[in-house]
Amino acid sequence: MYAAVLSVALVGGDVRPVRVEAHVGGTTNSFKLSGLPDTALREAKDRVRAAIHSSGIEFPHRELTINLAPADLKKRGSDYDLPIAISILAADKQIRRVPRVVMVGELSLDGKVRQGGSSLGAAVMSARLGIPCLVSRENAAEVALVPGSEVHPIETLADAVAVLAEGMGRTALQPEPSVAEDQALPDMADVRGQALAKRALEIAAAGGHHILFHGPPGGGKTMLARRLPGILPLLDDAASIEVALIRANAGLGDVISPIPPFRAPHHTATRAALVGGGTGIPTPGEISLAHRGILFLDELAEFPRSHLDALRQPLEEGRVLISRQGASLEFPASFQLVGATNPCPCGYWGDPRKPCRCPESARQRYRQRISGPMLDRFDLAVHVKRVDGDEYRSVGGEATAAILERVLSAREAQMARGALNRDLSDRDLTALPMTQSAGALLVRSLESGAITARGAVRVRRVAQTLADFEHASVEDDQVAEALSLRGIW
Amino acid sequence: MSATDTTLLSPGADRYPAGLLDLEKPPPIYVRGSVPFGVSIAVVGTRKCTRYGLEIAGSIGRRIATAGWVTVSGLARGIDAAAHRGTVETGGRGVAVLGSGLDHIYPRENAPLAGQLVELGGALVSEYPGATPPDRWRFPARNRLIAALSLAVVVVESKLAGGAQITAVLAAEMGRPVFAVPGDIGREASEGTNQLIRDGAIPIFGAEDLIAELSLLTGTVAEGSLASADGGLPESGIDIEDLPAFWDCSIKEALARLGRLEIAGEVVRSGDFVRPVTRYSP
Repeated sequence: MYAAVLSVALVGGDVRPVRVEAHVGGTTNSFKLSGLPDTALREAKDRVRAAIHSSGIEFPHRELTINLAPADLKKRGSDYDLPIAISILAADKQIRRVPRVVMVGELSLDGKVRQGGSSLGAAVMSARLGIPCLVSRENAAEVALVPGSEVHPIETLADAVAVLAEGMGRTALQPEPSVAEDQALPDMADVRGQALAKRALEIAAAGGHHILFHGPPGGGKTMLARRLPGILPLLDDAASIEVALIRANAGLGDVISPIPPFRAPHHTATRAALVGGGTGIPTPGEISLAHRGILFLDELAEFPRSHLDALRQPLEEGRVLISRQGASLEFPASFQLVGATNPCPCGYWGDPRKPCRCPESARQRYRQRISGPMLDRFDLAVHVKRVDGDEYRSVGGEATAAILERVLSAREAQMARGALNRDLSDRDLTALPMTQSAGALLVRSLESGAITARGAVRVRRVAQTLADFEHASVEDDQVAEALSLRGIW
Repeated sequence: MSATDTTLLSPGADRYPAGLLDLEKPPPIYVRGSVPFGVSIAVVGTRKCTRYGLEIAGSIGRRIATAGWVTVSGLARGIDAAAHRGTVETGGRGVAVLGSGLDHIYPRENAPLAGQLVELGGALVSEYPGATPPDRWRFPARNRLIAALSLAVVVVESKLAGGAQITAVLAAEMGRPVFAVPGDIGREASEGTNQLIRDGAIPIFGAEDLIAELSLLTGTVAEGSLASADGGLPESGIDIEDLPAFWDCSIKEALARLGRLEIAGEVVRSGDFVRPVTRYSP
């Protein structure tokens, strides 16, 4: 007397199938659960028993063995309640035939089906395997947006039993076309003055470059950073689902949005919160939540240096490996880093109007909190000055929509090459066309000591983005402009 | 008029500089070139100056020129020559008042500079006939002409008992405002200027500051405000933000242009504030 139903587990940035197997036998009254469950999952036994009772179905008081396969994958959460209940009823022959269906859901003691955080995973699995899925009505509408999925919302365990008994005859939920995509993202037009920073931000958006803003407090570094998502291309379906899965894995809901994520962890965040991990089954950190979007680190110099250094591998590889005893787990973490920092402890170094009160040694120490290799990641670094009265009264700048148009055009060339410019290595860059005079200018700036060899790669990368705006080869003007936007502070 | 033509102008002559009429006994003067009309500012100082003094004098000379005004000085080594040089570098007009005859330009090494002044529409002026040799005693007398020809006098660096001090005192007596560049205490080349400040001279903190003060005093608006010597950056520095307006181009073009200047090593940058590297080539 055996039965199995299909469910899912969120693993890293992905979703994997989990078979929930049930065996009903013997005459003694027992209930065993195996397959590396966590505490919430172990407690499923009590919820399932109560829910079955409350639904007016007979609970088999016999030897129950439940296994979640693969047995070596750690599982967590309450979403296996429904598949466990269904598998028991199927093994007990109370449901005659279970069609191939993915199901998730937490059971309440009165037999209602709640969402337990895996609904999106179920929908993705449904689309991947081409089979229907059962999820709680609570968030069925959201996850039904997964293209190719067949989502059946259910309210109670009894409801689920009925749907299965009917052989999934009901029509699946029709995805509602997503309403008002442009949630009010802040507009670039709100930023007054700051022509330099805005120019740099546009270039950063176009090439995906990591960008560092430095300048006195209250200059609007955060305001600028928050406007970056608006001038980035929307995520395609696959990407928005990937992003949503990571969010779901972190317990942040199932909303699928095409807007690139924007994460701004505070500098007091723990290392696990930042790069992922935590006790038990590793959960994605901020850098993974920022996958395909923006990680904004305000007060960069205030972050513990070890935290910042932990970002280097993800910055390099676009993913993070969380190693645990016996196993390691990979999360995607391909994000665009936006850093903001005061130039010195008091914040006014380099301000033409207000003098800096920090001793030189304090300034040095402050800068050294951000390691050289870390600073090297920033292709662009610009000073954001405090906006003075005149500029504040001036009208705002160009609107987000106009800038986005140019960014999209510049991205076309990169899509054709298959990589964002920020990911181009020295070698990739060498293969890209550049006019002779541009090359000469780059060499000259190296020779004159204006930039280092590392700096030259960054200048070349940014120049490539500038050229992509024009859909042409890199020319000397672009090398020169890239040079004046490079990271010195 | 060729570069070596000299005219003798008596008080009352059409082209006789009006400022000289403020003197008790306006002398007849020998002029090579023509003394320009307009706001004339004397920039004077010691021959034994510091490198810092040279840079300041040069930047003031350049700035006066870009303002469309006239620099007046004595063609002496050091501060005087640096101010004249700044003026001609910028294609501005200047007047050099000599303590010798115009056929005997002293010091010799500044003869080419004197020639450039005339070529650019400025003038050489002297009280003495053509071949008069430079004698020490004539120089203080020359200083009263410098003071009289100018609307204001700027002393860049000066010793306590230098010729520049005399010029400043004479100017003050004629009611011309006197400006002085403050310097280190105990440095000989700044003792005079610091003393002048104690005595009531207006301290100035750079070329732009001077222009601002003068604009207030004279009610004259300086031309090409913030204009730069070489189409590069303004002498006094500028926010990168303001470059597009300054160069009258887009931010994109401004950044490219700035990048080129940086590659050429001509820019000092701090935060978003950039200024040209100041160089003095003797």
